[in-house]
Amino acid sequence: MRLKIGILSKRRGHFTGKLKNFFESKGHNTIIYTKENLCINESMLENDLYILKSKHQIPFVYAGFYAESHGIPVIPNTDISQKHKDRFEAYLLIKNAGLLYPKWYYGTPETIKKNLKDKDFPFILKPVSGSGSRGVKVIYNFGDIENLNEDILYLEKFIEGTHYTVYFIGDKICAMEKIPLKNEHSEMTRRELSKEMKQIIMKWKNQYNLLFGHLDIVVEKKTHKHLVVDTGSFPEFSNWKCGGDPVPLIGNLILNEYKKLKN
Amino acid sequence: MKEIGLIIDRYHLENKVAEFLKILKSKAKVSIYLEESYLLNIDNLNFDVDLFFVKGKGKLMIAMTRMIENETSIPIINSHKGIWISINRFMNSLILKKGGISVPDFSLNPSNCQSPFPNYIIKNIIDQKTYSFQPNILKEDGHIKVSDERAIEEVEGKDEKYQYLYYQMFIKSKWEYKVYGFGEDLYFYKQLPVLVNPNKMETRREIEEIPELKEIVLRAMKILDLKVASLDFLKSKEGQYYLTDINSTPNFNYIKDGPRIMVDFLIEQTRN
Repeated sequence: MRLKIGILSKRRGHFTGKLKNFFESKGHNTIIYTKENLCINESMLENDLYILKSKHQIPFVYAGFYAESHGIPVIPNTDISQKHKDRFEAYLLIKNAGLLYPKWYYGTPETIKKNLKDKDFPFILKPVSGSGSRGVKVIYNFGDIENLNEDILYLEKFIEGTHYTVYFIGDKICAMEKIPLKNEHSEMTRRELSKEMKQIIMKWKNQYNLLFGHLDIVVEKKTHKHLVVDTGSFPEFSNWKCGGDPVPLIGNLILNEYKKLKN
Repeated sequence: MKEIGLIIDRYHLENKVAEFLKILKSKAKVSIYLEESYLLNIDNLNFDVDLFFVKGKGKLMIAMTRMIENETSIPIINSHKGIWISINRFMNSLILKKGGISVPDFSLNPSNCQSPFPNYIIKNIIDQKTYSFQPNILKEDGHIKVSDERAIEEVEGKDEKYQYLYYQMFIKSKWEYKVYGFGEDLYFYKQLPVLVNPNKMETRREIEEIPELKEIVLRAMKILDLKVASLDFLKSKEGQYYLTDINSTPNFNYIKDGPRIMVDFLIEQTRN
C-alpha cells in the first residue's frame, strides 16, 4: 500500500531527511512539514500518517493532536510526546513508572532564595518546556540566580555521578556514557548495558508502549542509584553505536505500527 | 468548619477577591497559596484542606494543580485539564469541535501565510496572562479583518514567542452572549460585541435563560472538565450559537451577588 506520510519536524535534514528518503525508497509519498509550511487546518487531512519528530507545542504537538482528532495515526503518540516535553509531566511519567528522579524545586527567584540554603547547591536550571540540553545550566550558588532573566525557575538537584544516554529501538538498547549536560550530538562512549539499566528501559518502554526513544540516566557516585534526568520520544540517534542503521530500524517499526493501528 | 485552599496570584489577590474572601472567611477556614511565594516541590504537597480553588492561570499555579491531582485526593476547582485546555485556544477549539460544540472555523498558520478565511479575527494562541483584548479592525473590500495586538506582539514583538497566528472565522452577531457557570447553576448575560463597543460592561444586561445555550454550556463544561467558567458566544444570522471564548477563572464580581454565589458553590463542593 502506498501511503501519504507527513513528518512534523523542525528540520528538513538530519534524521528527518534520512527518514523521508527511507519512506520514499519504500514507495511512500513523504512530505516534511516545518514551521515554514505547516498550516494546521483541513489541509492536513490529505495524509494517511504523521510522524511527530519534533515536539514543540506550537506547531508540532498541536498538529499531532489535530491529526489524531481526525482519525489519522500519529507516531509517536502525541500525548506521550507532549508529556516528554513538559518537565512536570515527564516527572510524573518517570515517577508513575516506578523510576527514580532527582529532587526538583519550582518557584520565583525570591521564593527560592527564601527557602533553599547554601548547602542545597548545586542545581541544574532547566526550562519547564523542553528536553535535551538547550537552556540547561549548572547553578552553583544564589549569585547565579541573581543574573537570570526568568520569573519562575525550575531547579533540579545536580547529581554527582556518571551520565548516560540510553537509546532504545524496539528490543535493541544502546548505553552511551556522556559528558554531563552535553547534548545528544557530543562525543559519547559505548558502555556495556547493565542489568539495572536494561530493567529501567524495559519498564519505561512497556509502561508507555514506546517503539523507540531514549532516557538520560545518572548513576549516583555515592549511592549507585540510577536516576532518570531526561526523556526523549524521538532523539536523533546520532550516537547510536549498537549495530544497524537506526533510520531503517525506526522506519520499519513505524510502518509496522501503522499496519497494526489500521487493522 | 471546612478548610479551603486558595491558589492565587498576587494580581488576583490584590484586585479581584476582596469581597469573595470576606464572605469565604465567614464560612470556612482559608489557606492562601500565593504563586509568587510558594515553592513547589514534591516534599511540599502535604495539605490539610478539604478543597482547593484556583483563581488564576499562571505557570506555577497550573503545575501545582497538576501535582495536587497526582499526589493527593483533594478535590480541586478547576482541574488541571480544564485550566490548561481553556488557556490553549487551539486545543479548546479542537476538543470542543470534536465534542459536537459549534465553534467558529479555525486555523493555525505560519505568520507568512494568508488567512484561510475572508473574514477573520486573529487571537493570541495561549491566553495565560492577565490582559484585555486590544483589537485592530480593518475593513477592506467588504471583508472584516481583526487582529488582537497581543497576538501580533507574540509573533512580531521583540520577545517573539512563535511564528504562528491563530485565525478564527469572524462571526457577525448583533449581541455577544456571556454565560457564567458554577456547576449546573448558570447566569445569562448579553452585551454589544466588544468590537462594536469596547466597554463591555456599558451594554451588558442580564437575560432569561436560553435553553439552547444552557445545553451547550453544560456540555462544553463537561467536555473541558470545568466546574466554574464563563463562556462567550456569538449568534450567526442563521441563528446558530458559536462558542468563541472560554475562561476558567471568570471574574465573578461582574455578576450580581457573584462573590457569594462563588463561595456557596465552593462550600457545597466540600460536602460532596
